[in-house]
Amino acid sequence: MGNFVDYLLGGLGGGMIIALMALALVLTWRATRVVNFAQVGQAMFTTFIALSIQTLTGSWFVALIGAIIAGAILGVIVQYLVLRPVRRTDTSGAIIATFGVLIALQAAAGMIWGGDGQAYPQPFGNTAITLFGREWPLSVYDLVVLGFGVLLVIGLTLLFTRTSLGLAMRATAFNPEVARLSGVRVSRTLTIGWAIAGIVGAVAGVLVAPTSAISPNSFDILLVFAFTAAVIGGLDSLIGAVALGIGTGLILSVVSGYSDSSNAPVVALVLLALNLAIKPDGIFGHNKSRSV
Amino acid sequence: MLSISHLSVNYGAVQALDDVSLEVPRGEVTAVIGANGAGKSTLLRTLAGLVKPGAGSATLDGSEILGRKAEDVVRMGVSLVPEGRSTVPELTVDENLRLGGLWRSRADRAGRQALFYEMFPVLSERRSMRADTLSGGERQQLAIGRALMSAPECLLLDEPSLGLAPLIVAQILDLVKSLAAEANLAVLLVEQNAVTALMAANTAVVLNLGQVVMSGSAADIASHEELRHAYLGY
Repeated sequence: MGNFVDYLLGGLGGGMIIALMALALVLTWRATRVVNFAQVGQAMFTTFIALSIQTLTGSWFVALIGAIIAGAILGVIVQYLVLRPVRRTDTSGAIIATFGVLIALQAAAGMIWGGDGQAYPQPFGNTAITLFGREWPLSVYDLVVLGFGVLLVIGLTLLFTRTSLGLAMRATAFNPEVARLSGVRVSRTLTIGWAIAGIVGAVAGVLVAPTSAISPNSFDILLVFAFTAAVIGGLDSLIGAVALGIGTGLILSVVSGYSDSSNAPVVALVLLALNLAIKPDGIFGHNKSRSV
Repeated sequence: MLSISHLSVNYGAVQALDDVSLEVPRGEVTAVIGANGAGKSTLLRTLAGLVKPGAGSATLDGSEILGRKAEDVVRMGVSLVPEGRSTVPELTVDENLRLGGLWRSRADRAGRQALFYEMFPVLSERRSMRADTLSGGERQQLAIGRALMSAPECLLLDEPSLGLAPLIVAQILDLVKSLAAEANLAVLLVEQNAVTALMAANTAVVLNLGQVVMSGSAADIASHEELRHAYLGY
């Protein structure tokens, strides 16, 4: 039993990172009905930028700020250059195009920074916390990750529920025509949605980087986990993405603990398949049919 | 006053509107009636900036509104309530109202909102409930309220009576009439239900296959028997 609790706690940090990446997927989905598979590519790219800044300045925090700015800009670029022209025809074309962007970003990162894994410096202690006379499977860094995640979720919640921009974004997601007729600059609002998703993804990238080496393909598996969490969470629900992201992290940690970490992706895909078979709208999703 | 002159709209090879001219004076309700497919909705959607015009012009108190984006047309003072109780069902009553005046100043928005809640105490009680919990009539009131939040000079209403019980239809049309008279709005009302529309309107225009086939006072058109048989089907 003690093991089980330890495995759960050990999955919290990783779960929060999955949650943030799932959140980024949900944000673009809500804004434009496009699942942005390039999201992890954007996060990988901005994390490499952060690594370059870190090497230059030696400051983890400055590097994080750099990644956030780069994430916003990259989100806007991906939407403008690639998705806008494709979107004019149909959204499934746009989704395929995001795969193209993912591959292009990975190739570009390989050319700039090389294909080998590079270590990302660990800014805070990575040793287990000792408290109440025992060692816990949580490090100071895990707490930092959880802290950033909670801050982002609170910030986004306030943005969506308390600000005019948030109301415009929600109205645009639910009914773009009524939003336009109300004077909302819809295309600008959508672009801001992509920028915010880019920021969330960039933070997730910088946070996950120290736990493994960073290479052009190192976030691919994160895409599998985040996509699973986002879909099971209902794709439309921010709360769903966070809850299922953390949940996925916990399950994966338990699976890795009792068997082998290479089983984790299989378990994620099994969960995804089960969800699609039993409740395709997702746990937090609601049926989109409307009465007129 | 909203003046529309020689407006044409094409959907590919289909001409939806053909050389339509009409005037919508302030303080009055002008009805556009006609059968399904006559081009009534296209007229309103073109004016609101949702459909691209082919030719012609439309001016509100002298400024051209055609060829602009929908989000700019509403800022110029022309507000459309599209067909089908156009609220955002996932948002609360209060959020739907706020949405309508999002680009205006906070103080201005609050004033208009207070005015609306005074007019509709039932909606005031339900301000934190989602719009999809409202009845059909309440949602139509809310949709009109959302359009009014932009402080329009001209209100475009697309089939506000659709799917509502007769008693509720009468309430909505009374509201439309009093808005025109008291707020001095130019109201353009599109209806398939000619009888209802003609009761609420001062003047009316009959559209058929994209062309204006008759215009005149609502009373004249209501009593024109041949016209009723030919275009309105009753």
